[in-house]
Amino acid sequence: MITIEALKSLGVDTDKGLAMCMGNEALYLKLVNSVPTEKRFEDLVKAIDEGNLDAAFDAAHALKGVLGNLSLTPLYDKASEITELLRGREEADYKGLMSELIKERDTLADYCK
Amino acid sequence: MNKALKNVRRKVLVVEDERINREILGNILQGGYEVVFAEDGQRAVDILRADYDTISLILLDLMMPVMSGEEVLKICRADDNLSDIPIIVMTQDEDAEVSIIRAGADDFIKKPYNMPEVILARCERIIDLYEKKRLIDSAEIDLLTGLYSNEFFFEYIKQMEKYSDSKMDAVAMDIEHFHLVNEIYGRAEGDRILKRIASMIMAELSDSYGIACRSAADTFYIYNQSLLDYEKLAEKILKDIEAVTFENAKIRLRIGINRDVDRNDLPEQWFDHAKLACDELRGDYTRQIAFYDSAAHDKQLYHERLIRDIDTSIANKDFTVFFQPKYGIEGDEPELRSAEALIRWNHPELGMISPGDFIPLFEDNGLVQKLDRFVWEEAASQIAKWKDKFGFAVPVSVNVSRIDIFDPDLEDRLLGLLDKYGLTTNELLLEITESAYSDSAKRLIEVVNNLRDKGFKIEMDDFGSGYSSLNMLTTIPIDVLKMDMKFVRNMLNDDKSLKLCELVMDISRFLDVPVVAEGVEEKAQLDKLKDMGCQIIQGYYFSKPLPADQFEELLAK
Repeated sequence: MITIEALKSLGVDTDKGLAMCMGNEALYLKLVNSVPTEKRFEDLVKAIDEGNLDAAFDAAHALKGVLGNLSLTPLYDKASEITELLRGREEADYKGLMSELIKERDTLADYCK
Repeated sequence: MNKALKNVRRKVLVVEDERINREILGNILQGGYEVVFAEDGQRAVDILRADYDTISLILLDLMMPVMSGEEVLKICRADDNLSDIPIIVMTQDEDAEVSIIRAGADDFIKKPYNMPEVILARCERIIDLYEKKRLIDSAEIDLLTGLYSNEFFFEYIKQMEKYSDSKMDAVAMDIEHFHLVNEIYGRAEGDRILKRIASMIMAELSDSYGIACRSAADTFYIYNQSLLDYEKLAEKILKDIEAVTFENAKIRLRIGINRDVDRNDLPEQWFDHAKLACDELRGDYTRQIAFYDSAAHDKQLYHERLIRDIDTSIANKDFTVFFQPKYGIEGDEPELRSAEALIRWNHPELGMISPGDFIPLFEDNGLVQKLDRFVWEEAASQIAKWKDKFGFAVPVSVNVSRIDIFDPDLEDRLLGLLDKYGLTTNELLLEITESAYSDSAKRLIEVVNNLRDKGFKIEMDDFGSGYSSLNMLTTIPIDVLKMDMKFVRNMLNDDKSLKLCELVMDISRFLDVPVVAEGVEEKAQLDKLKDMGCQIIQGYYFSKPLPADQFEELLAK
C-alpha cells in the first residue's frame, strides 16, 4: 500500500489531494491505490493504437479529471497535455506521450503493490 | 429558510461515470446529505423519474457513456416533475459555462474539483434558493383551483396599479349556502364545483386585463377592467355547474360588484365593498348581482358610528334637552303654557347632528328607548328646578316612543320619576305618536288607559299622518291632539292641507280635546289656525327650541 511520504517523493500534491478527501487519509490512499488499475488507461492505449481520436479524447479527458481530483501531479500533467491536444484533434506523437503517461502510472503502480 | 425544513437531510443525486470521482464526491457530501449515485445519464433519469419528489439536488457530469449530461439536462428541464430540482454541472471545460447555464443548469463545479468547502457551499446555496422559490410559488397559487392565493392577488394588484390607471372593477363572487353543498354532496363534489367556477373565471379573463383569486372557502375575487358582462358570466357558470352537479345540487351564485374602484381607497377595501354588495344578496332570490353603492355605504358607516357612540354621548351629556314653548292663543296676547322637550346631539367629533339623522335610526333599532329615558330624567329634573325657582311649574311634554309602549315597567318608571322630583302628572306630559297604534293597537290602548288612570295626560303626536286615525280615535282616550306639522306647513298654499287642518279641528271638537299646531312659522298660519279655533301653537313663529337657560329667561318674564 502506498504512503503519503512515497507520494510526496513522486511530486504529488498530497495536501491538496487529502483536502479533496476531507482529510480522510485512508480514503485518499485507497483511491490512489486503485488508479494504476483504472480501466481508462487501457481504453486510451487502445484508442490511440487504433487511431480513434474521439475515443482517445473521452478516455484522456476522464483520466485527467480523476488524476486532477487526486492531485496526482505528474500523471495529471501528462494527461492534461494529451487531452488538450486531443481536444483539437491535433497531429501529435500520441504514442510517445502515452508511453510517458503509462511510465508515470507504472512508477505509481510500483509503490502501490 | 423555513425552520421546519432546516434540519431535514436532503437527498443529492450524483451523476458521474468515474468511480473515483463518485467516491470523492460521496465523501464530501455525506456529512450533510444523503447521497445516491448514477453511473450514467440513463440511470440518472430512471432514478429521477422514480424519486423526483425526494431529490433536492443533482450534481451532473457532462461526459458520460449511454446518455450524456446534456441529454439529462434537457430531459429534466422539459419534465414538469423534474424541472424544479436544481442542477449543478461538473465540467472541465470552462468555455462551456455559458452554454451550460443556458441549457438550464443552475451552477457549475470545475473539474478537477473545487475545494470541498466550495462544493458544499454551492450545493447549499442552490438548494436554499430553490426551496425559497418553491415556497413563494406555492403561496402564489391556490392549490385547489389554480387561481391566485388571496395574498398574492393583492400583491399583484399593487403591481398592476403601478402601470395602469384604467377603470377597474372589483368583483366578489360566492355561493349561497356552500357549506350545505359540502355537507350534502361531500367535500369532493364541493371542490369540483369550486374548480369548475375557477376555470370559468379564468377562461373569461383570458382575453382581458384581469386577475382572479380564491379569497376564502367559496369566495372568489376578480379584479378586471370594466368590461365584463357579469350577468352573462354568472349565467354561463350556473349553466355549466348545472351540467356537472347532481340534479338536486342547485347552486346560487351571488355576485357583488364595486364598479370603477375608488383609488383613494386601498385594494383590500375595494373588495370589502364588493363583498358587502355580495352579502346584501343573502336570502334575496330575485337578484344575483348587486352593485356597491358608496353613498349608501357611507350612510351605513355613519349610522354605525352613531350607534356605537350613543352610550358614551349619553354618559358625557353630549345629548342635551331643549325646550320649545307652546303658546295658548285664545286670549288677546299669546300666553306661554307649556313646552315640549326635544333632544339635541352635539357630538364631540361630528358636531351638531340633526335629530332627523338619528331619531329614525334609533327608532328602528330600539335605541331610542335610551334617549327617551335620558330626556324624561333631564326634563323632570329641569321642571323641578324651575318649580323650585319660580314657585310655579311649566308643564313639559316628553316623547314616549313605540318601543317604550312595550316596556312592562313604563308606568313604574314614569311614576318613579315624578316621585323622585316631586312632580305631578299635570307637569310631565306624555306624547305618543299615532303610528304606535299600527304596531300593536291592543297593547297601546292598554298602556294609554293605565297611564291615564294614573293621571297622566296623553298627547297624540303627529296626528293625521297615520292611516288608522279614525278607528283609533274611537278606541284610545287622549287628552290633546297634536296636528301633524306637514299640514300646517302647507296649509297656505295647498288646499288639501288646509282642509285636513280643518278636519283635525272638527275631530278635536268632536272629542272635546284641545289641538296643538306644530310647525307654525308665519303670522298668516297663526291667524288662520286661530280662526279655525286652534288653541295652542308651537313653532318658530314664537320660538325655536331653546336650551334650558334661555327658556328660563322666558319664564322669568
